[in-house]
Amino acid sequence: MIHSLFAQTVIAYLLIFAVPLVLPFAFIKLVGLGGLRTLVTYEARDTPLHNLDPRLKVLYPIGMGVLSILLTWKLMLIAFALTILPWFWLRPSRQKVRVLAVMVVGPGLAGFWGQGMYYLPPPPIHYLYKFPWTLAWLGSPGITTYGMVFGIEQTARVLVTVSTSMLILVSTDVSDFTWAFERFRAPPQVGFALTAALRFLPEMIARTNLVLRAVELRGYDMSRPKWYQFNRWPNYAKRLSRCVVLVTVPLLIGTLRGTTTMAMVADARGFGARKRRGSLRVHKTTAVDIWGYAILIALVVTALILNHLNVGARYYG
Amino acid sequence: MTEALAQGTGRLHAEDVSFAYLGAATAALRHVDLDVAPGEVVLITGASGCGKSTLALALCGLIPSRVHGELRGRVTFGGRPLSGLKPYEAAQLVGMVFQNPNLQLINQTVVSEVAFGPENLALPQPEIAARVEWCLSVTGMAGMRRASVVTLSGGQKQRTAIAATLAMRPRVLVLDEPLSDLDPVGAQEVLGTLRRLAAEEGTGVVIIEHRVDEVAPWADRVVLMDGGRVVLDQPPRAAWADRGPWLATGVGMPDTVRLAHALPELFPTQLPLSVEEATAALRDTWFATALAAAAAERARREPAAVPAPAPGPPVLSWDGVSVTFDGKPAVDDVTLAVGEGEWVALIGANGSGKSTLTGLTVGLGTPSRGTVAFRGQPVRPGKVFDHAAQVALLLQAADDMLFETTVLKELEFGFRFRARPPQPVLDVPEAIEFFGFAGREQDSPWELSQGGRQRLALAALLVGAPGVLVLDEPTTGQDADHMRAFLRLLDRVRARTGITIVTVTHDIRGLASRSARVVLLGEGRVRRDGPTREVFARPEELARWGVLAPPLARLQQDLTGPTTDVLLDVEELAAAALAHRPGVLAP
Repeated sequence: MIHSLFAQTVIAYLLIFAVPLVLPFAFIKLVGLGGLRTLVTYEARDTPLHNLDPRLKVLYPIGMGVLSILLTWKLMLIAFALTILPWFWLRPSRQKVRVLAVMVVGPGLAGFWGQGMYYLPPPPIHYLYKFPWTLAWLGSPGITTYGMVFGIEQTARVLVTVSTSMLILVSTDVSDFTWAFERFRAPPQVGFALTAALRFLPEMIARTNLVLRAVELRGYDMSRPKWYQFNRWPNYAKRLSRCVVLVTVPLLIGTLRGTTTMAMVADARGFGARKRRGSLRVHKTTAVDIWGYAILIALVVTALILNHLNVGARYYG
Repeated sequence: MTEALAQGTGRLHAEDVSFAYLGAATAALRHVDLDVAPGEVVLITGASGCGKSTLALALCGLIPSRVHGELRGRVTFGGRPLSGLKPYEAAQLVGMVFQNPNLQLINQTVVSEVAFGPENLALPQPEIAARVEWCLSVTGMAGMRRASVVTLSGGQKQRTAIAATLAMRPRVLVLDEPLSDLDPVGAQEVLGTLRRLAAEEGTGVVIIEHRVDEVAPWADRVVLMDGGRVVLDQPPRAAWADRGPWLATGVGMPDTVRLAHALPELFPTQLPLSVEEATAALRDTWFATALAAAAAERARREPAAVPAPAPGPPVLSWDGVSVTFDGKPAVDDVTLAVGEGEWVALIGANGSGKSTLTGLTVGLGTPSRGTVAFRGQPVRPGKVFDHAAQVALLLQAADDMLFETTVLKELEFGFRFRARPPQPVLDVPEAIEFFGFAGREQDSPWELSQGGRQRLALAALLVGAPGVLVLDEPTTGQDADHMRAFLRLLDRVRARTGITIVTVTHDIRGLASRSARVVLLGEGRVRRDGPTREVFARPEELARWGVLAPPLARLQQDLTGPTTDVLLDVEELAAAALAHRPGVLAP
């Protein structure tokens, strides 16, 4: 029975749609708009990571990004593991861990699954599950071992940058970024743009959440059908798209009012008054900073050498 | 600029200032004259739309540099016109604190917010550090310097905004409704900070505020505005000596002042501006004796002041309900029932769980324990669409509840998605008539006044068939006239429909006092539940949970000692005292 064409087709369709269906569900259940709001919020603590030289913090994701480009295969996985370690040091809140886990595991799973189905190594191909012709005509002959391994590597490549960026956002007050940018001779507007974005993104998400609640309270049906109520899903999608139009007016008006006030506040606080800004922060380079710089430089140099020597290089066919 | 900055003892002066917004047909300000001396506290009040906020922008030099329109007259500090200065130069003379602290906190932590201004001025690090320390210290935020601004309470956010404004070292601070979003405790925090600034630092303070009871005791001058003009500018006692301008503009006076006007013989020398002053004036007078006698008689005659709800199951009930956010309890084991036709007010400090509790009635949020029910049927978390037909919840920001292009379409909005109820609380034509939208059906909701938009949102909820009306802070930021109008409207709605009303409010003096029953929440639990007049007779218990009893309630308790209940209306209080005046036969 399980080897019949019908059963194999059903299994194949379940496999192909499993991850794309699970991911949005996991996002809605575990993250949602509320969780997204906390994604980039700074968590004030007194850890060595918080007190690290802000310049190093700006350089860290860039350096790790370079690594993610240069390194391949297992070295990439090692680099990813290295980016995870500081999180244990930081000990973020449980809510943040939950959100970050979904935001990291989600794309990881998607990349791993997608490459498993659509990356085709040269023959002989080892299939974990070979799709019947009823599905193979869509372009994927099945889930391959090699494709999944390749997917893990590619996912790790992206996640290295995601993990390091998130780590820095969670542990760094935006004013420290501004300070670092200014030390790098970047215009103050760069720091201010980042400050405004990171400060007001959570506010914007909270406001969107409020307006979406308001539209439901006014009697707009946003209720989600059960997963098996296939006939109701098109109508749900239609209602969702119409809702975007409805909530745009109050969101737009609220946002315009808010930005006007914010612009006046920034003006009144003298933003742009001087070409160079002063700084409350006095950063004295510590041993931790020196170690941090040393490790980052060592990692980048090692990656360059390994890349040059073709160590760990891999033929993808 | 250096010269102007050096004039630390300069006065802020508005001279014949008129202003019309770009494209506006009428002027927002008309021939305004105003003078603020160092260390002086000026309370500016007036009906919504009278030009108070526009005057604040003009006083700070943001008109015309950032708010465009036609400006006449001039605003000067120490003789130097502010209109010729850049915003950051003007901000070092006159600083502005806006109404919503969320929109003026640009940085992520308290300390970086306060340092932002001095850093922009490229001051030397020791000067920045000194300013930051002083600002944090004077606003009482030194202990929270590293806190993330998103974790602060409303009062703390407002104090941080004040600290950040002070870091520019202004000689005068202008605050546009700084108390409107704050609970009584937060309001007292902010007022305490401003008091210190004026008294100890010599900072001139201009407060634009509707909550006159809280500001009156320490204002040096009161300015009343109407139609863009200053109609009165006098020291408080002189300002409130004549009720005429206040009645004409519909702007509220402090309760103690109203009491003095009702019983002038008791206050022969001066008007009382605070409960303490009123108590001092009334102690050992016939009034105190009469109040005690009236209270004793009420205790004998009136066993309960809450009208009995209609028989049958409660309209709303919370049974052992708990809600947790991030592992912390927001609502903790609440059991409560609201009967048919009742008007119940939920009061408590910010974060006491009021809005969480009412949100559960329409499926917003999920209880970690217990059940919420509407007419005995459990409310299912997340099923907002289903429950919104039964429970009409009006959010504080009524503007966020308007989505259509005309008033009529707004009222019809809900019927696009569900069938018209056979027996609505009000049908659409009735609602248009009842809420005063006749002739404005095709107007855009955004052409209505703020009060009009709130009425429209309320009307749009009532054209369905809800069994209960839940109002979340409906009178926040409204002047006395609008508030009275809204309360009258609620009375009319109740008289017409008999609908049950649950309000969440910080407005102890107005909205809560109007309801028959009050539920006091503290740290997520019900701390007191009873007739309004009895709950407000416990000022110490209210204070323990972050609520300041209404001025009249505190006055009665101060004069008579603990009583089982208090009277909350000036006219009622005066009548009760006169009826029990020694030598007058008891009714």
